[in-house]
Amino acid sequence: MVIGSGPIVIGQAAEFDYAGAQACRALREEGVSVVLVNSNPATIMTDVEMADRVYIEPLTVPFLRTIIERERPDGLVPTLGGQTGLNLATELARAGVLEEFEVKLLGTPLETIAKAEDREQFRALMREIGEPVPDSHIIDTDEALEDLSRREGLPWPLIVRPAYTLGGSGGGIAHTPGELNEIGRRGMRLSPTHQVMVERCLVGWKEIEYEVMRDANDTCITICNMENFDPMGVHTGDSIVVAPSQTLSDKEYQMLRTASLKIIRALGIEGGCNVQLALDPKSLNYFIIEVNPRVSRSSALASKATGYPIARVAAKIAIGLHLDEIENKVTGKTLACFEPALDYCVVKIPRWPFDKFTSADRRITTQMKATGEVMALDRSFESALMKAVRCLEIGTLSLRYKGANLWTDMQIETLLTTPTDERLFAIAEAFRRGLMIEEVAQLTHVDPWFLVKVRTLVRMEAALRAAGSNLSASLLHAAKHLGYPDRTIADLAGRTEREIRDWRKALGIVPCYKMVDTCAAEFEAVTPYFYSCYDREDEH
Amino acid sequence: MNGKSEAAMEAKKKVVVLGSGPIRIGQGIEFDYCSVHCVWALREAGYEAVIINNNPETVSTDFDTSDRLYFEPLTTEDVLNVLDREAPYHGVIVQFGGQTAINLAAPLTEMGVPILGSSSRSIDLAEDREQFEALLRELGIPKPEGRAVTNPEDAVVVANEIGYPCLVRPSYVLGGRAMEIVYAEEELRSYMRYAVDVSPKAPILVDRYIMGKEAEVDCISDGERCLLPGIMEHIERAGVHSGDSMAVYPPQTLKPETIAKMTDYATRLARAMRVIGLMNIQFVVEGDEPYIIEVNPRSSRTVPYLSKITGIPMVKVATRCILGQSLESQGYAGGLWPDQKNPAVKAPVFSFQKLVGVDIPLGPEMKSTGEILGQAEDYPRALFKALVASGLDMPLKGGLLATIADGDKAEALPLLKEFAALGFPLYATGGTFQFLRDEGVTAEQVNKISEGGPNLLDLIHGGQVGLLINTVSKDKRVEREGAQIRRASVERGVPCLTSLDTARALLLALRSHKEGGDMLRVRTVDEYLAGSIGPSAV
Repeated sequence: MVIGSGPIVIGQAAEFDYAGAQACRALREEGVSVVLVNSNPATIMTDVEMADRVYIEPLTVPFLRTIIERERPDGLVPTLGGQTGLNLATELARAGVLEEFEVKLLGTPLETIAKAEDREQFRALMREIGEPVPDSHIIDTDEALEDLSRREGLPWPLIVRPAYTLGGSGGGIAHTPGELNEIGRRGMRLSPTHQVMVERCLVGWKEIEYEVMRDANDTCITICNMENFDPMGVHTGDSIVVAPSQTLSDKEYQMLRTASLKIIRALGIEGGCNVQLALDPKSLNYFIIEVNPRVSRSSALASKATGYPIARVAAKIAIGLHLDEIENKVTGKTLACFEPALDYCVVKIPRWPFDKFTSADRRITTQMKATGEVMALDRSFESALMKAVRCLEIGTLSLRYKGANLWTDMQIETLLTTPTDERLFAIAEAFRRGLMIEEVAQLTHVDPWFLVKVRTLVRMEAALRAAGSNLSASLLHAAKHLGYPDRTIADLAGRTEREIRDWRKALGIVPCYKMVDTCAAEFEAVTPYFYSCYDREDEH
Repeated sequence: MNGKSEAAMEAKKKVVVLGSGPIRIGQGIEFDYCSVHCVWALREAGYEAVIINNNPETVSTDFDTSDRLYFEPLTTEDVLNVLDREAPYHGVIVQFGGQTAINLAAPLTEMGVPILGSSSRSIDLAEDREQFEALLRELGIPKPEGRAVTNPEDAVVVANEIGYPCLVRPSYVLGGRAMEIVYAEEELRSYMRYAVDVSPKAPILVDRYIMGKEAEVDCISDGERCLLPGIMEHIERAGVHSGDSMAVYPPQTLKPETIAKMTDYATRLARAMRVIGLMNIQFVVEGDEPYIIEVNPRSSRTVPYLSKITGIPMVKVATRCILGQSLESQGYAGGLWPDQKNPAVKAPVFSFQKLVGVDIPLGPEMKSTGEILGQAEDYPRALFKALVASGLDMPLKGGLLATIADGDKAEALPLLKEFAALGFPLYATGGTFQFLRDEGVTAEQVNKISEGGPNLLDLIHGGQVGLLINTVSKDKRVEREGAQIRRASVERGVPCLTSLDTARALLLALRSHKEGGDMLRVRTVDEYLAGSIGPSAV
């Protein structure tokens, strides 16, 4: 039996349809008969072709109990339906339903899930294996919250995270005892276990994620790592994310990779797992922030970024297969124990609903607000970023943002220090007005490496504007290489998009298409997907 | 197909499908569902299917969904570049990728790209107000009176002609963006000034607001015949965005002659507009008379629902029509498909807990992020399931706090009486309390926020309220409190109904629960389709 993630809500979107559909197919390939339950019919996973028995019924313990009683499944895979699926599996186990009907939990054991999700158990384990976690306080009563807020010497600001909620619902950053009380109370109300964790706020540290997998043989691999453009303090679902990481030294990369693999082993996860780490930009200090012992939004992104089908492999591991026994369907040649390698840059940008909810608080913090996301691939960060902006459909094709020229310098400073959906465009506008990399870095805590790239894009915009109708072929070529779309070039040159396009094609400046094959072209891929770039060589 | 025979690949006809991009309010997962099914139908029909999309969360961008996948922006330039590389190809399909893909029909057509299925002209016809109205007049199909305007003065003239309230919205909309019901000239002027960018290129539509029932139909046309898999009747009256209203299949209160008219209008309209593939039509029903309020010649939010409820693989049938196969050759005679035995209720799901500063009342602007379906052997049980699946802890416990706007009080009375009869202690503020007492209904009075503590916010935070019914007042001063009350309900996780129609549906479900019987009966999709619910196997 596979439990889906239910309706699309912020924090739990289409990624679990993707994961669930892939998993159902993977299980049936192995001759397993699949019973699927999900209340959301606008999904591929609830197609009658996807499973042997498909139930579109409410996702609550009483309804699931009735289905289990009726279907008598041998096993239940709890890690494919997001937090909803995982919480329901835990509740079914607690309510004794799984025991009553002799349903075995497959894949990652429940104790492991508890160890990863319960803050205290998790911290105890991290201390045991010598992985650093920030000092933190688990609070579950108003009195304890008040006591804490009165304590001397707290490392303000503090971050508040409620336990077991979607997308970190109800969390926030407290700068004063008053805010701590307010955010803490709201967090406890929203947490099903009435718990919040209060800890040192690592705002300004780099936020890095590793997607790792492990099988019952204790074979572990890294699928990829990802780096958040937005430093700590912004929910990863609300961050611009880059894969692979761009600003880590090899030493840092290996250090965090080793830590992630150590954690998945210590937890004993059988399947996929996402490890979030904070890295001090000024030293080699790091902290483990969070572990998701299941298929997640990040794993969907990692899958698409690398071509490694995480949900498919996780499902196979759940029924006892080992990584060296599972074929990588993308290459058709390599095995699932082969770590992907990327020869391109991936940029994800969240899609926020503030165009519809104009009255909403646009600040992005530890509580996710995006409804969706886009992903773009290209040879460089600049061109991938430009492409991702175009994917968003927010009325701009480049870093030129409607109304940005009307922002006062003061407004820009606020937009740089307080993250919102508009921060990327504020950074670009700051460079347009001549701010230095160091100034912007100080206000945003975004790594200078990223800022230099954004400035490169702004400088190209200035060059195009300066050239105007005297646009040269070489500048056109350079602009295309950085990811500038014809329309923006046309606007800046005072021409039409059609004119630029025709001229560009006449000059032979056309994109070529590269393949995502998980192995940096080491093996030939059989089910390829492509991304464009203004490089030379086409891959067929 | 895995590239074993290059020559065989070349000989195959190739079709490019445009996806729907990132998930946002108004354009959700359903369009990915439709894109995937289109790709599958193409491959099954022997075509090579190429997809362009950029959403990493979805099945459409999975490595083995299509023959080739391009992770690219859905802009004219990026799509043309892919098409240059994929040439020669048979054509491009735009009707399954939501507004994102539909919006590319015109620029691609201009560049000489063949659009398969309904042409860019058909799409324009539905979106260009004047042409569309002329067509409806010619066909003798009624629509609410109204006109497109390009400046505030004209808007006021039109509104005075047709009378208030009016429904106002930009002519090109996605998910009911910036749509409002205005009750007076002052509101209309303020809307024209602040809410929208109006220009001759982007006219505003001013329509008579008909406060009737709403219903919608998805149909599949091959250019001649038209198949209507089913009609969904909205539970909330007109004025609530179709994506945010609960809806039931088959219709529960529409008369056969109304349904016959809707079927006839859809069939004639599809032919006149030369629709090939899917089309969604929204109706408002006043008395028994259906009026067309919106037509979209593309797949809609309800396609996956109706496909699963009726068993008609709608996207596949539509894709085959697009490829030139008639409905008849696919075994469908056209017209309205017979109703299935087990009713199904669709309900919206919101994410208000995540979005501080967003007010929750249902209205013409869409606010939900997702939807669920509840199906059972009768309507009340289907409602019950839908409410459970959308997150209500049924049957609800605790008190019912009612703050009802003056205009809604009379209508609310019988509903509140019934909630009381079902055992809900009633709490009400001044006006509503007075009204209930005058009508002989027992309730406990609570203070409004402005009346000082302890007030109704304390009641909500104290956990005594299990359900809130709050209808939006036109009085701005009252409304400020209303917004605070609704926000408190979101924070406390207390369900808050802002439409009396939803409250009525809830009562139906609660009554059914009280009467007993097996509310937990479950069936597979196939079993519901087979129509026989039979005795419970458990």
